[in-house]
Amino acid sequence: MNREELIAAIKEIASPYTGDKTALDQINEETNFITDLKINSANLVDIILDLEEKFGIEIDNDSMSKMLNVKSTIEIIEAKLAENDRK
Amino acid sequence: MIGNDVVDLRKAGLESNWKRKGYLAKICTPEEQQMILEASNPTVVLWLIWTMKEAACKIIQRKTGIRNYVPLHFHCEDLPCYNEHLKQGSPMLTGKLSYFGDDSLFREDFHIKSEINASLIHSIAVSNISHFEELHLQYLRPAINYREEFNNLSKLYLLASTPSGLPELVHQITGQKHAVSVSHHGDYLAIVYSDSLLLTD
Repeated sequence: MNREELIAAIKEIASPYTGDKTALDQINEETNFITDLKINSANLVDIILDLEEKFGIEIDNDSMSKMLNVKSTIEIIEAKLAENDRK
Repeated sequence: MIGNDVVDLRKAGLESNWKRKGYLAKICTPEEQQMILEASNPTVVLWLIWTMKEAACKIIQRKTGIRNYVPLHFHCEDLPCYNEHLKQGSPMLTGKLSYFGDDSLFREDFHIKSEINASLIHSIAVSNISHFEELHLQYLRPAINYREEFNNLSKLYLLASTPSGLPELVHQITGQKHAVSVSHHGDYLAIVYSDSLLLTD
């Protein structure tokens, strides 16, 4: 999956949790889930669980701590997918 | 420093399914999960613990300038006053919470005051229990111009925002920056500020 495809996947997963559809349409690597998409921090857990299900990965607590914006989320998904490939 | 967090229980009920598999384990320690699952109203206890963590998290964020998503670094060790709240129907509770850094040698303790009613849970965190004195809580409608509304009501203080989006409260006469925290969820917006505590305290 390339970065555009990953951003599209993150957009789809974040969609039900954001009230700001304009910000969602402009999603890019710099987008912050809380400050830009106005996603409630309790719903960030849902996004993380949805990403785990979609990509078949496990997001540990250290990784979760950085998952506040699209860029770090992409990096974590890529790293976890690579880990799965090595298994 | 102070931090606060509000949960609109109606909105949380609509938007958060905390019973989904894996949810609790991502945000609550095993001890907290047990407290939640054994409570007579698990949903209320979950959001109580959550607001406590988020309120303390805002203090850590102010101190470090970094917002990390680490709910498991905040440990709510017991909720002694919650049972009292149930018995006496008192809407105000006090509790304690600890934050553990990446190496668990770093520990910071917080005192928490929480309000629970049928529609919301609101928690305030401070580092020192004396900081609860001279603290004010103002609920406002969550409109875009809430700062304007606050400033009209307050007269003494000017509420603004730092470039990074954190609230800033300036005393109109002394020019000093006072400790302040703002939280918004659903139909509620809560502003907590102190007459005596400064932003850097």
